[in-house]
Amino acid sequence: MFKRSLLAGLSLALIFSLVVFSMPSSSRAADATATLTPAPTATPVVSDLGSGGTHIAFWNGLTGSDGDTLNAMLATFVKENPSISITTEEIDWGTLYPKLTAAFVGGEPPDMFIVHVAEIPYYLKQGVIQPNDDLFDTNGGPLPAKDFAEPAYSNTVVDGKHYGVLLDNHGYGTWVNNDLLTKAGLDPKVQPKSGAETLAMLQKLTIDKNGKNAADPAFDATNVVQWGTAIDWPHYMFQSLLFQFGGTVISADGKKATINSKAGVDALQTIYDWVYKYHVAPPPAGFDSWVSFQTGKVAILTTGTWFRNRIASVPTIHWTAWPMLQVGPQPGVMFGAHIMLIPANTTGDKLTAVKKLMVWVSNHNADWAASGQVPARISIRDGLDPKSYPSNIAIGQSYQVGGHMEAPSPSSLDIGNAEDPELSAVLANQKTPQQGLDDAAKRIQAILDRQ
Amino acid sequence: MSNTIVTGSAPAATQQATRRFQINLRRRESLAAYVFLLPFMFFFCLFVVRGVAAAVNMSFYDWDVLSPVHKYLGLGNYNELINDDIWWLSLKNTLIFAVMTVAGSSLVALGAALALNQPVRGRGFFRVLLYAPSLLSAGVVGTTWVWLLNTQFGIVNYALHFFGIPAINWLGDSNLVLPALSLTTIWWTFGFPMLLFLAGLQGIPTLFYEAARIDGASPRQIFFYITLPLLRPTILFVTVLGFISHMQLFSQNFIMTTGGPGYASYSVIYYLYQIAWKSFRMGYGSAVAILLAAIIVIFTALQFILIGRRVQY
Amino acid sequence: MTLPLFRIKNLSLYVFLAILGLLVAMPLVLILSQSLMDNTTLYTWPPQVVTLAPNFGSYQTLFSQPDLQLGRWLFNSLFASASYTVVVLTICAPAAYAFSRLQFRGRNVLFFILLATIIIPSQVTLIPNYLLMRDLHFLNSINALIWPGAANVFAVFLLRQFFMQIPQELEEAAILDGCSYFGRFWKIILPLSSNALTALTIFVFLGHYNDLFWPLIVNSRVDMRTLPVGLAILNSSYGGSERPVLLAAAVFATVPILLVYSFFQRKIIQGVTLTGMAGR
Repeated sequence: MFKRSLLAGLSLALIFSLVVFSMPSSSRAADATATLTPAPTATPVVSDLGSGGTHIAFWNGLTGSDGDTLNAMLATFVKENPSISITTEEIDWGTLYPKLTAAFVGGEPPDMFIVHVAEIPYYLKQGVIQPNDDLFDTNGGPLPAKDFAEPAYSNTVVDGKHYGVLLDNHGYGTWVNNDLLTKAGLDPKVQPKSGAETLAMLQKLTIDKNGKNAADPAFDATNVVQWGTAIDWPHYMFQSLLFQFGGTVISADGKKATINSKAGVDALQTIYDWVYKYHVAPPPAGFDSWVSFQTGKVAILTTGTWFRNRIASVPTIHWTAWPMLQVGPQPGVMFGAHIMLIPANTTGDKLTAVKKLMVWVSNHNADWAASGQVPARISIRDGLDPKSYPSNIAIGQSYQVGGHMEAPSPSSLDIGNAEDPELSAVLANQKTPQQGLDDAAKRIQAILDRQ
Repeated sequence: MSNTIVTGSAPAATQQATRRFQINLRRRESLAAYVFLLPFMFFFCLFVVRGVAAAVNMSFYDWDVLSPVHKYLGLGNYNELINDDIWWLSLKNTLIFAVMTVAGSSLVALGAALALNQPVRGRGFFRVLLYAPSLLSAGVVGTTWVWLLNTQFGIVNYALHFFGIPAINWLGDSNLVLPALSLTTIWWTFGFPMLLFLAGLQGIPTLFYEAARIDGASPRQIFFYITLPLLRPTILFVTVLGFISHMQLFSQNFIMTTGGPGYASYSVIYYLYQIAWKSFRMGYGSAVAILLAAIIVIFTALQFILIGRRVQY
Repeated sequence: MTLPLFRIKNLSLYVFLAILGLLVAMPLVLILSQSLMDNTTLYTWPPQVVTLAPNFGSYQTLFSQPDLQLGRWLFNSLFASASYTVVVLTICAPAAYAFSRLQFRGRNVLFFILLATIIIPSQVTLIPNYLLMRDLHFLNSINALIWPGAANVFAVFLLRQFFMQIPQELEEAAILDGCSYFGRFWKIILPLSSNALTALTIFVFLGHYNDLFWPLIVNSRVDMRTLPVGLAILNSSYGGSERPVLLAAAVFATVPILLVYSFFQRKIIQGVTLTGMAGR
């Protein structure tokens, strides 16, 4: 009897403390450490920076080494602006989007956030972001509009209003293992110029356990010890090639799916053949292409600008950065752009502080190059030190020549979600390129018709 | 309860009084029951009933979560759903996965329970060890098994190479991905059915075994004619619960394969997640959830009919 | 104890248990040993199962990062799960009593409706409940982790099964003593159910502790995160580059739960038997 009363008493006490404990506390966790310790290998998930009275909640999807770079920059900012404090939350993109939407629905969004330029139309359609024309010199603001690289910049202006401030351009490029190329008698400084040249090079670099390469008739495709290349991210890989063959995902007016054009099929067939006909790349599913490049099992890796910090931390690999491999008739490479956006309900002191922060980050765009990404400001990009930032420069320049972005559409994320499983199915040899792209086109068309 | 108070032969007046007392008692009992139920029903109505009703309502609209206005579609979402090939593919994958996993984990669990029901040494140790995977969170299980099944560095392929089997792309092959996810899930979840089987075995009176042995029954006969039939209620319970939970496959494919390759490991809940939290089509997502619930109801009823014919609940 | 079902020779029984134990233990051992490796040891062929030179760097990283509020997250998890368990038992035990021992109008229909809701995937009610949490100002608080799941039908079902087996005579004696309904529930039914309640406590607690999606969505503030949510996000940010750190975190999250389970292991099995969870 006593035992049970005790239990009941404890339960009551627990419930009581629960109610008290869970009262929304207005004071933030008193972690006032302004010093950030950017461990070289690990990204802090959440950082409280500064102790100023005006507090900014800042969400982004930069969970890689780029998150470190951003936090280091913000730590400097709060030192210069002691009245402002910042909490950054770095959440992987897959989780960030639902969380942002949930937060908008719940009425508790962050004070600023980073997404991609292609997603501006989506947030605009929902009415959850606000314009910031006063930041650009076209409206008497501090930021020089002409200094922002095209075509990303034009996509941030909708109906004459500026939304957000561009942080960077980021996209596909090529990393080359110098030692493996030299061993195969190839010069890492010379990039092949056509599809045939590229294939020949990849064949020389794909080697089986008997030391025979993929061009050799006796080549054993089931026991490959070194791959010519690997398909790291089919979405970026396919779209880069799509542009090289002159195609697009949707028509310019955004009304029609065009992904299954001849250009699309040619592009996907090229990748498919690398895997299943010439055996110069492994099937992408289940293959860790970054680790394989790091351990010298892949000679040439097409991947994103964000690979820079990762490979820079592996001293045993000597590498050269090339622009995207060209296999189609014209230069073409897929890239995106990160943009800082302000939710519609950020007001007052917070709004002032957020704008100050955005201008500061843009003006310190050079620091952002340490993330591997290409600064959005032309003057800053061109002023980078070529010794420290070879990949940023070589790859960044290629975006001016053949760079294409995801078509801005209120459904851009949806379109990507419809496209990716089909690419994956084709590259897992479940469908032919034509079939896969026809199915993708059908699904994308349904999305466009729904708008 | 009331029958203990009623007396058989009583004068009319007393009978009337007794009846009144009975009615009174029954009313009091009902009242007490409602009081006992009140806190539970409050939360049940607030979160479950209200939630389901809201979801059913949503499924009749084109409900973009951020839009202020929602367009009424009637049965439009359901109509779209029955013509949606990804939905059918996801349903097929989910059913295959659920059947494989329920069968696999029930068999492993039964085997483990039969062994642990013997007076073996280290029984306590094995009970903890075999249940331990069930204590892990989905994130830990997912990342661990991605590693085990990795084509290049994975320990599963390493073990197979001793038997001369070349590297297998477990999660990248559309024919192997569901079995691979199922294997992971069996490892993760067989502990709970094992406990249920253990409990079921301990509930079988030893008398039955003694009688059977006196009659000269072989161990095989004892298993098939005594143990298995008497475990029938447990088997029903394990398979019904297992089926309900495995039909809701989400975190394993979310973490390990993101539904791929292609749509080969799309499950209904994973598709629902894509619709609701990537495309933010809450109305269509609700329709998916409700149709899935209906399908689970049908299959559960089938299980009761097939296994549960002689089980009294 | 029960007699052998199969007259298996003890040897084959041990062999079976050893093989099964090994298969079950291997991934667990790997989690522990890889958390003590560095990245280069990790990416080798043949894969290393045990490391001869354990490296505690990953644990150091884990605890030296001021931004990984692991202690706070563990506290949130334990506190939320414990509170949730108390709430569930407090409201479900009386309900189970009503369903098992009291007669009232609509009892069977109501119980059937409850059971039917077990089948409904939780994603169905996710959005409506999220909006409700917002309106109640429960977002970013422990409240959001407790109340939505408080009406735990599974708990009611299991307790009802158990209460039904308690002999009617025990209560009748109490009725003659003039005991109230609450008195009977409190003085007779509950004390007889301690094992069943313990087993249920553990299952409810474990189920809540490992929940991922709901806490991820409702509690966006860092200091209100639960441990599995913290780990999942850690997974995506450290996953590629720092696998040992990730595994060290997994070990950190699992050890408390494993200790609780080993401690109550015997009681849990008794409880499962007695609740008639096994269907009898």
